[in-house]
Amino acid sequence: MSPWVLAGLVGAALVGLGLYGLILHPHPLRKLLAFNLIGSGVFLVFGIVARRGAAAGFSFDPIPQAMVITGIVVAFAASALAVALILRLHAESGRVTLDPEAWTKPDDGAAKS
Amino acid sequence: MMPPDPTTPGGALLVLAILLPCAGIILSFVLGGRNAERVALGLTPFGFALACAIAFHVASAGKPIVYALGGLAPPLGIALRADGVSAVMLVAAAVILTAAGFYARAKFATPEGGPESRSALTFWIMLQAIWAALTIIFVGGDLFNLYVALELLTFAAVPLVCIDGRPETLAAALRYLLFALFGSISYLLGVALFYGAYGTLDIPLLAQRVQSTPIVWLAAALMTGGLLAKTALFPLHLWLPPAHANAPAAASAVLSGLVVKGSFFLTLRLWFYVLPALSAAGAANILGALALAAIITGSVLALRQARLKLLIAYSTVAQIGYLFLVFPLATGAHVWSGIGWSAGVMQILAHAFAKAAMFLSAGLLAEALGHDQIARFAGAARALPMTFLTLGLGGLSLMGLPPSGGFSAKWLMLQASVASGQWVWTLPVLAGGLLAAGYVYRILTPALSEGDIMLKAPPKRSREAIALGLALIALALGFAPQGFFDLLEIGRPLAAGTLQ
Amino acid sequence: MSHLSSTLLVASLAAPLALLAACFVKNWRPRALALQWLAPAPGLAAGLLGLTAAPASFDLPGLGFTLRLDPPGALLLAAASLLWIVVTAAVWRERAPDERFGLSWLLTMAGSLGVFIAGDLVSFYLVYALVSIPAYGLFAFSDDAEKKRAGAIYMAFAILGEALLLLAFAALAAGEPHGSSRIADMMAALPASPWRDAILALIVAGFGMKMGLIPFNGWMPLNYAAAPIPAAAVLSGAGVKAGVIGLIRFLPLGVPLQGWGEALAALGFLTAIYGVLLGLTQQNPKTILAYSSISQMGVIAAALGMALGAGDISASGDVAFYAANHLLVKAALFLTIGALAMRGAPLGGWTLALAATLALSLAGLPFTGGALAKLASKAQFVSGWAASLATLSSIGTALLMTHFVARLDAPPPDAARECPSALVRFWPAVALGAILLPWLFFPAFGYVSKALEIAKIWEGLWPVLLGVGLALGLRRLGWTAPRVPAGDSIVLFEGAFTRLLALGPGFETLDARLRQWPAAGVSLLLIVLALLAAGVLG
Repeated sequence: MSPWVLAGLVGAALVGLGLYGLILHPHPLRKLLAFNLIGSGVFLVFGIVARRGAAAGFSFDPIPQAMVITGIVVAFAASALAVALILRLHAESGRVTLDPEAWTKPDDGAAKS
Repeated sequence: MMPPDPTTPGGALLVLAILLPCAGIILSFVLGGRNAERVALGLTPFGFALACAIAFHVASAGKPIVYALGGLAPPLGIALRADGVSAVMLVAAAVILTAAGFYARAKFATPEGGPESRSALTFWIMLQAIWAALTIIFVGGDLFNLYVALELLTFAAVPLVCIDGRPETLAAALRYLLFALFGSISYLLGVALFYGAYGTLDIPLLAQRVQSTPIVWLAAALMTGGLLAKTALFPLHLWLPPAHANAPAAASAVLSGLVVKGSFFLTLRLWFYVLPALSAAGAANILGALALAAIITGSVLALRQARLKLLIAYSTVAQIGYLFLVFPLATGAHVWSGIGWSAGVMQILAHAFAKAAMFLSAGLLAEALGHDQIARFAGAARALPMTFLTLGLGGLSLMGLPPSGGFSAKWLMLQASVASGQWVWTLPVLAGGLLAAGYVYRILTPALSEGDIMLKAPPKRSREAIALGLALIALALGFAPQGFFDLLEIGRPLAAGTLQ
Repeated sequence: MSHLSSTLLVASLAAPLALLAACFVKNWRPRALALQWLAPAPGLAAGLLGLTAAPASFDLPGLGFTLRLDPPGALLLAAASLLWIVVTAAVWRERAPDERFGLSWLLTMAGSLGVFIAGDLVSFYLVYALVSIPAYGLFAFSDDAEKKRAGAIYMAFAILGEALLLLAFAALAAGEPHGSSRIADMMAALPASPWRDAILALIVAGFGMKMGLIPFNGWMPLNYAAAPIPAAAVLSGAGVKAGVIGLIRFLPLGVPLQGWGEALAALGFLTAIYGVLLGLTQQNPKTILAYSSISQMGVIAAALGMALGAGDISASGDVAFYAANHLLVKAALFLTIGALAMRGAPLGGWTLALAATLALSLAGLPFTGGALAKLASKAQFVSGWAASLATLSSIGTALLMTHFVARLDAPPPDAARECPSALVRFWPAVALGAILLPWLFFPAFGYVSKALEIAKIWEGLWPVLLGVGLALGLRRLGWTAPRVPAGDSIVLFEGAFTRLLALGPGFETLDARLRQWPAAGVSLLLIVLALLAAGVLG
């Protein structure tokens, strides 16, 4: 098995695991971790994409690498923002859930005719 | 050999338009306190002037203006490009952001000598960050670059949702952020596949190279799915109602009027600029079907809300549906695609102005009455005539009654549906109008009936005037001359046979 | 088009709108409301000038609107302006009604005059919306449950009608090969349009809603019963004619369309008879007048149907005349309810004679304007079955109007309060004007002398005598019609609407399910897969 096939398989596995977690795990922190898993998988795909430079005579195409670095920074920023929100939410309310019912105030539906 | 530098006259304006809000962010952050507000508001006239200058350049040149960063032409460099639609969107964004900024002064002012509040500083910085992100989205020419702008837009919008720090707004913001991240990772994977297939992410270069291969369709599907999640097209709208309904009014206006349009704009870029050469009727019909579902469900849900802001938020869900009707109505190189294209852009603008006006009015209303329960509005129109006039005029545009931009959009959509033989799309257009009439009626009827109402505080006339001004722009769009529609055609592939 | 008439045309639209704009300045508002009775004056002048002039168009620079004046439109414009001037002057002379009412009044006025002169699709749609939607404010702002119901139903039909017309207009615009938006060019292209039948169906349904053609007649009795008498007068007189001018403008009368013509005629006659029969079951004089309007609009639709079948373009003038007569008489009849209610004394002597003459004018009583209207409509009803049905509807109208006069003794409780007190004094002038004014207008459309031939007089007289005799005979016999709730078939629409509303909670459940995180996540994946499949397979 060549390294890039292995990288592709690992990337696919990471994306799959991440998708499972992102969709099914109710806790926001787990969702965030799952997002990072998918992100890693996608960055691996970028790594494989960089191989295309080989055809043009380069040993590697540098642009996807630049993109991966940018992507990692963006994902890091996103994670930081999400963690800050989770912490703040926990500090304000003592619980962390995304269930919309939990945040519906009782008087919201009361005036419904 | 290097390709020649494609920068056109006026191209530097694009860089200035991006740099201006970025400089504002840094200045606001460094100076802090009252100065953040001064910087943000002080820069708005310049931003508006730049947007107008770009529009003028595009209109007078009759072709897109381009700036190649660092003098490097794509595929190695990155190009900024403003065509007719970008120019129009830049101007609209400048107007709405300026209006929201001046409206928000009352809420996010830092008193003389008083302590700096975190929420005020956040608001002014995020407002400028949204401006910067939207500008990059409107003029960006590189799909990865646009990804970064899209993320910046989300990161700026999320804090606006939870700026008052109540738990329900924090939860809404978190929902928004996490689902948006789901969308962005999907978009990013699509970008990777495009690069892998063609070795460039420059939009015009890709448009020349793409072919109908599975990898292209997979990339397009992933990117579109991600963008739909960020645009909150039904059934991916889980985050929108709580986020838009709980944010402060000025923020809601920007979020509903502009931020969802940012990701929608990229969807347009993808299908009409990157993939115009492919026959995308199937995908267009899927998007049309989702649009239909969005219009019907969003409108019915709007009809059933007890709170005004939630009603307006669900109305946004429905109006986003209208935006996506542009795909079945403007895809391909037909006589009618031009009509569909005009309809789509008109719908973006009409909804942006009408919805911003309505959210600002709803904010004034909630401040004056202390609640936004529609059932308790009796007599409110007499106490707040100007606010309800704004709600009514905004509603007129949402219903699609003349004279308004909403009417023009529906009128063109119906023409395009009939001319293309796709009568099915007249159904959502008309049904959405009827349902919108229903929910506008629901707001206005109790307000216009007799009743005594105690105002907690009368709203400031200037803030009412800002909201009314936006609503009047939504109406004035109904009188847009032919030259305006000609401007929208500038740079549209297939419009002038630029792509064979 | 001469400079004078184009200026007047613009002014007929601009005057009400200018006054409306003045209402938004607080200090000017009382003055603007007090002066609004003058707003229709340019319309009146333009209408009178246009009666005998050749049709002419005028493009408003900048806006892309076209104004067009032809004799049918001019006649209706003149009659409507006159009505608006009289009623507005009377209403505002004594007390300033509240601002909501005043604004709605001006908007409705602008729309009501505008429909007769709008020459292109978009401006027609705009003024048509103006005459339909703000009228809600003339009667529905109330705590009274019945008025609220009437308002909601009115609004539902108005908006639904607008939607149908919007689709029809868009299809018209899409089918016009040269990109023109003038109505005349659309009508020239319509017979060859691939969507002709759909467009015609939408046009008939859309304007039929405004005119109260069955099955869309139910809103009208509720509306007129809920509206204060002055508002009912302008709505029944001028407002409904927006539907008539709509059909005149948007039916391709120059090209014979047999099937469509016969269908429209049949629908019209059915409405005409249905209106009479249902009217007889009513007790409230306002409601009776509403059913009479339904019936008369049926006659108009029938006349247009016959003309459409025959390809007779000249019918538009005749129909417009019939409509103008109805405009004046129906408004005067509503004012009669108020005037007689204020007098209080039992009906008798000359008041009875005048009220009865006015009422029977609708049935075509000789020497009234109605006789001329009948003469004009006769031109369409030449064939055997149409002529018989037209005569039958005259008899029915006479019967219904006799019932109306008999019910004038029992006006609705608010009738006197809703009207300006001066009405008692000037009512005779209003009634006489409604009876006689059509004689002044008629020379523009036909020969007055024809109406004075003995044979024509007898032809007009016997159905009226028969109808009145029938009514009096039934009264003598003590027969009373069964009671039918006002609005008859509207309960079916309300029932259907309630069932639609019952779907609402289902949508809420659907929304709540889809907004669960796992559902949304799976939706996203499914959308991606669907797009991929559409691309790869398509």
